[in-house]
Amino acid sequence: MKKYLTVFSLSFQNEFTYRVNFILWRVRNVLRVLMTFFLWHSVFSSNKIAFGYTGQQMFAYVFLVLIITSFVMSAPSNDNIGGEIGGGNLNNFLVKPIGYLKYWLTRDWASKLLNLLFAGVEITLLWFLLRPAIAFTSSIPQLLVGLLLCLMASLIYFVVTKLAISVSFWAPENTWGLMFVILVFMETLAGGIFPLDVLSAPVNNLLLLTPFPYLIYYPIAVLVGKLSLSHSFFIFTLSVLQLIFYSLILKFVWKKGLKNYGAYGG
Amino acid sequence: MVNMKNLRVILRYSVNSFQQTLSNLPVFFIFLFSKIVRYALFGIFIFTLFSQVSPAAGFTGIQMLMFYLIFNLIDTTSQLLYREVYRFRPLVVSGGFDLVLTKPFPPLLRVLLGGPDLMDLGMLLIIISLLVYISGTFIHPSLDQTLIFFLLFINSLALATAFHIFVLGIGIITLSVDHLVMIYRDLTSLVRIPVDFFTDSLRFLLTFIIPVGIMFTFPAKALMGLLSWPLVVLSLLISTAVLSLSFFFWRYSLRFYQSASS
Repeated sequence: MKKYLTVFSLSFQNEFTYRVNFILWRVRNVLRVLMTFFLWHSVFSSNKIAFGYTGQQMFAYVFLVLIITSFVMSAPSNDNIGGEIGGGNLNNFLVKPIGYLKYWLTRDWASKLLNLLFAGVEITLLWFLLRPAIAFTSSIPQLLVGLLLCLMASLIYFVVTKLAISVSFWAPENTWGLMFVILVFMETLAGGIFPLDVLSAPVNNLLLLTPFPYLIYYPIAVLVGKLSLSHSFFIFTLSVLQLIFYSLILKFVWKKGLKNYGAYGG
Repeated sequence: MVNMKNLRVILRYSVNSFQQTLSNLPVFFIFLFSKIVRYALFGIFIFTLFSQVSPAAGFTGIQMLMFYLIFNLIDTTSQLLYREVYRFRPLVVSGGFDLVLTKPFPPLLRVLLGGPDLMDLGMLLIIISLLVYISGTFIHPSLDQTLIFFLLFINSLALATAFHIFVLGIGIITLSVDHLVMIYRDLTSLVRIPVDFFTDSLRFLLTFIIPVGIMFTFPAKALMGLLSWPLVVLSLLISTAVLSLSFFFWRYSLRFYQSASS
């Protein structure tokens, strides 16, 4: 455990090395939220309710997207693991007494912490600038389930993206292909641009079988009070099952991948 | 700067780049499929949203779809042409830019047009087909509107050229910036919806200071007959000024190139 704490501490410090890059990355996140905010702002200036959301709920949703995305989807592992497998640098980790995926999970958490801190500041500034009326759930149990769903979301995101990047074991020259497809689906079907209940009920039911809606949409839907407590628990159970399912597949694929790993270039 | 010899060289760069893309067909189709999914999902969302609610800006679902398609037409064309800009920073950091500067070919053309992207060409054909179908079926633009649209489309490409030149110039001056071209992409993504949706101050900023509104919203408005003549003239003047400024900035930024690591 101590070695992972050291990795966490070093990674956190490392995040400050390229400060300009980090600040520009945060600016990009804010720009993305602005488009969604003004789109919904226009809709709610002439509609009291749209797709079952009040303006207050929708603006809370948009603001929470910035926070949850920073927490769930900040993952330097996505940019590095494929290259390390493809370039043979994985060797350096295989001979060390450290779990490779645990190492990257720890580094991701360091990045998440920093991104979360910045997202908090950005949200505060945006709120003072835009002054939208926002509404969250007032139920403490629901708030707790929402926070647990955020935790689940970050773990599901890690497992699914690592599964996609495992393709590098078999196609080291093409580390980004499948990952790009997954990220494109996540961009829209996770609920980062619009809440998924805008879509029809059959599409929503189908999405329940995929990992995407558990990443952004459901954590936020619970936090803004769109779901009942029993429904929130049901979604939490499903997200735990999703995590277990994809973790088992990742374990299997990673084991097969390591057997196939040729350490090319390493 | 652009003469027949340079055009032939650019054509050779394009053929090489296309051959490179076609050498890995599965990857080509994966990326094309992903891009289609990305564009289609957002397009369906915008159309559904504005077909079911009455937004303050007063646009219908079809009009919003037109704004989005024209946004993608301009964005994809500029990505197709200027993909090489995304590979510029490693060239400067490694000192490899020396080899570009010493060749008898304009370096700006090389770093702008040296690697067009075939994947975007596939996407562009799909967007143009949809645009022709929707405008022909629902919008019925007059000849005037169509001609002004083409004029403003070229104007938008001039602005896109200027923005990419600024990115290249800043890339030379500040080596540590990775995200700059992506900032430009995110800034332009703001106007996937018309600038009319933003507050007055932000609309002014996005139209006249960082003219992404002129670049994306104006051509769509012109095609739908929603743009006045004074704004057409103003947008042409602004893009001429911005493009001239970008050429000046490029020459200025070259003074900062230090040939490090070479």
